[in-house]
Amino acid sequence: MDVGEDFGPWLARQLRLLDISQAELGERVGLTRAAVSAWITGRAVPREDMMRRIATAIGTDPGTVHTRTTDAVTGRPVSWYHRPAHKDGGREFGNAAAFAFEADVEVLAREATQNSLDERLDRTRPVRVRYTLHELSGEPLARFRDAIGWAYLRPHYEAAAAQEQKVGRVIAEGLRDMNERDRLVLLRVDDYNASGLTGDDYEDGRFAAVVRRQLDSNKSDDGAGGSYGLGKATLWAASRLGLVLINSTLSVPHEGRTARRLIGRLDLPWRVVDGQACAGPAWFGEPDTVPGSENVARSWWAEEETVERLHLTRENDEPGTSFLVVGAHDVASGINEHTASDDGDEDESVQAMHKKLLIALANNFWAAMTSGENTSPLLEASVRTLRNGVVVMKEQRVDPRLVQPSRTRALKAYFDGRTVDELTEIGQVAMAKVPLKVPAVRGHGKVAEHEAVLLVTAAEDADDGKPNHMVTMRGSRMKVRSARVPDLPLGTNSFQAVLLAGHAAGADAVEADRAEAFLRASEPPEHNKWGQTEELRATYSPTAHRRIADFTRAANNAVRELVGKRKERSEGGPKALRELLGLDGAPPAAARGGGFPTILDLDAFVDEAGAWQIDAEVKLPLRQDPWVMNPVARFEVRSGGRPSVGWARVVAGANCEFVDGALRFKAGARSATFTATTDVSTHPVRAALAGLIVDLQKTKGAPA
Amino acid sequence: MKVFPYRTLAGEVALRVTAVKQDQKDLHTSVFSGDERVVALHQVERDDWTYARIGVTATLPVKELDEGPWQDVSVVLVLTEKATNARTTAVLRPRGSDNAEWTGRIRLWRAAHRSQAELSVSVVATVDGVPGRIIGGSEDNWVVDLTARTPVRRRELQINEVDFATGSEEWLRPFKDAPWIVETSGDLPTVHLNTGFEGVSELLNSGGAPLERAVRDMLATQIATDIWTAVFHSAVSDLELDEEGNPEWPGGWRDAVLRGMLSDVLPGMSGIDALSEIHARRRESSGWNELQPRISYAAGRRAKVARNLGTAIRVLDASQKASKA
Repeated sequence: MDVGEDFGPWLARQLRLLDISQAELGERVGLTRAAVSAWITGRAVPREDMMRRIATAIGTDPGTVHTRTTDAVTGRPVSWYHRPAHKDGGREFGNAAAFAFEADVEVLAREATQNSLDERLDRTRPVRVRYTLHELSGEPLARFRDAIGWAYLRPHYEAAAAQEQKVGRVIAEGLRDMNERDRLVLLRVDDYNASGLTGDDYEDGRFAAVVRRQLDSNKSDDGAGGSYGLGKATLWAASRLGLVLINSTLSVPHEGRTARRLIGRLDLPWRVVDGQACAGPAWFGEPDTVPGSENVARSWWAEEETVERLHLTRENDEPGTSFLVVGAHDVASGINEHTASDDGDEDESVQAMHKKLLIALANNFWAAMTSGENTSPLLEASVRTLRNGVVVMKEQRVDPRLVQPSRTRALKAYFDGRTVDELTEIGQVAMAKVPLKVPAVRGHGKVAEHEAVLLVTAAEDADDGKPNHMVTMRGSRMKVRSARVPDLPLGTNSFQAVLLAGHAAGADAVEADRAEAFLRASEPPEHNKWGQTEELRATYSPTAHRRIADFTRAANNAVRELVGKRKERSEGGPKALRELLGLDGAPPAAARGGGFPTILDLDAFVDEAGAWQIDAEVKLPLRQDPWVMNPVARFEVRSGGRPSVGWARVVAGANCEFVDGALRFKAGARSATFTATTDVSTHPVRAALAGLIVDLQKTKGAPA
Repeated sequence: MKVFPYRTLAGEVALRVTAVKQDQKDLHTSVFSGDERVVALHQVERDDWTYARIGVTATLPVKELDEGPWQDVSVVLVLTEKATNARTTAVLRPRGSDNAEWTGRIRLWRAAHRSQAELSVSVVATVDGVPGRIIGGSEDNWVVDLTARTPVRRRELQINEVDFATGSEEWLRPFKDAPWIVETSGDLPTVHLNTGFEGVSELLNSGGAPLERAVRDMLATQIATDIWTAVFHSAVSDLELDEEGNPEWPGGWRDAVLRGMLSDVLPGMSGIDALSEIHARRRESSGWNELQPRISYAAGRRAKVARNLGTAIRVLDASQKASKA
């Protein structure tokens, strides 16, 4: 039997929902108010027969009272709750956290997926993330709008869009797009095998951190990628309408239930609607009955049918969360969207987002998606695109090997224990350990030495990104930085390096926990480098960042060691002289008439008689005197001199004449043509057996 | 311009070295460089090796090959050296299902080579019923350098700083009163700077004051002019002729010297025309003397005489004005 909610809180909620006082219930079941109060506070539990009487008293069946996995009464109808404006007159014209990021699907993919990775539930299996782009129009769009209470929301949107603020303009654009083109793009982000939004509606917990709060990083994993709580803001930033609907299957029951916990959150700027000033955010849910939070929209346990109408149906009951970004837009590709006028281009905007998502996921999470023979990946990701419920682009699993062939190879070799100490063949993966000295927190205790894992392998042509870079990662193999390895010797084979530090170095890495915490403290909000931060200064010491510099230097040295440290060339000599002795450094041609005639284009074939028939186009440099040149044909041979062949016939074309065995080009002409046939009797071999080279050579005795 | 009587590949045939083994020992991948396309076999600094085995991968334009009229495609690796007329071949085998990558290895025998071998790949197929036709090959070939310690293309004439009087090269002793000597007989032309000639090295390595730099650059220019003149004459005198008596491009540094300077020596001529012309003038001694000013001019341009002299004069002028003031 499902373990339901404790009796006390459950009963309290039922009474609130039914608007029955404790005294009233006492009366109905023939007991005092104090007895009911004892149940509610958990000091006592009613006996079996009393349970049945309570069931009758609140109008439900005894089973519900026993299991307490559902409410005895259907909740109040879901609706929108808008936070009233601040009493001090403060006005917010947007969510600052959302402005920390570009409203770009790539950023969304990075942040949302990182959040899912951090909330991975069963650590032996990957967390599965699925992105669904769903374009709605016509009837399906109308139905969706009904489901979210559009009629009620509309005045709020119109008030927000009328404002001359950045958010206002974005919303106005979103509304116009939806109204004029009758189209709305939903971007859904589902994760499975993740924690789900657990916890109370208002108190500390995952739910409140995501739905109610800004900048609250409630990470369950100390190897988490994020630590600023900014990532979730990208969900709202990605919505032109500032609206995100959420359906979560919880890993830990709340109110005795796990499936279909729904809530919607709308981020609009300050506005006045019907004389009521609203602060900004609004929530879509069940009006609360808890004293102090009356009418605040709280999450509700939705019916399957409601979930369906809101496009929030999850594919199974595995824990995790679905975020539905309503009116998803992509700033980066937005330019194309506006210029597109015909239907064909509209198709492409969703498809372009689909492709962009695939690439963004592969580029940011190739490491988490890489698996070994006995190592499962941390993450599986896929993308699909629908239009009005019909599949437009089939679900595609993101394959990290396609964009990062060399780095995934490096990681796989590491998982499978197939690394080498020294590279002797392209395709091998070399491994080295790089020490990181982790200082003690606030100078107390000893310095710990962590060993990070460095992998180096030859770069592949298909690699996305530049060669000779080292990617540094920590935690759930999250990319922190990619930087070129400096001071490489000339002629180094292009390579890719991966530095796994902290938890990324593996479960059995020495002092991984402390290294992880230390490195996380050294990251700025963008999580894109390791260096001095306030947190590092406060938690460790003002000079702690030097450890990071030492670490980076050691890693770069190790890379140079692995790719082959070479002795500096001893030959050299004084620089002033060396500069003048370069073999390739021929000075540009002096001004001297600009070159010589060359054959620009040549059409040629072997005719039935076995002779070459050529049709040549000649480019002539400008010159006062006419050019006089001999056309010369030679047979191509593997080595040694090329035997020349004679002409049976040369016919001058445009801008030239054939005189005394030479072509005399018209003075001042820039181009000319001629045709010619080789003399078969002079062929050293059959024409079909060799290549033919045709050149123009200076006629002997002609002026240079 | 070259044409073939049958269809050839338009797509690129790429060649890359993947592993090098020398006498049973696998060498580090740093002995070869994919960017420079050089294998440096002297990195291990031993001369008594017998052979080197070079592993390669060639990438073919598969789509074009599939759609084209070619049958029985095979890929052949060719190792040659002009200086010794050595030529070794090896057949590559396709790897994977799409036949895009062909791999194999070739053995380079130390005894058959002198300094620099060239490694290329040819794609051979049956076309129109004729077997064994070359339908394509690598454009950018690899150089296997037997004397280089680092896999970079050597693109500079060499400088050797040595005391002529006491150094190990005895042939330099008679020149102990000369500040420098140019030698063009080696694999790469070398200028020997006499460290026993007091002040030369110091002057060439000096920096600092403008006047000092101007004098330094003037000296460098003078040495360089000497070198370029010498290497040009050396390159022209070594030309080999084909069966019809036409000169061939010599390859190696001579090639680079001639291609770089002929356009200044004989302007308005295509490369091969200029090569024939210079060879004819030298052999027949007709017009050879008339050509000397042009050779001097070309060498001077390579040595940047005009720039460095101009700078020196300006600096001198400025310092004279300053001392008068």
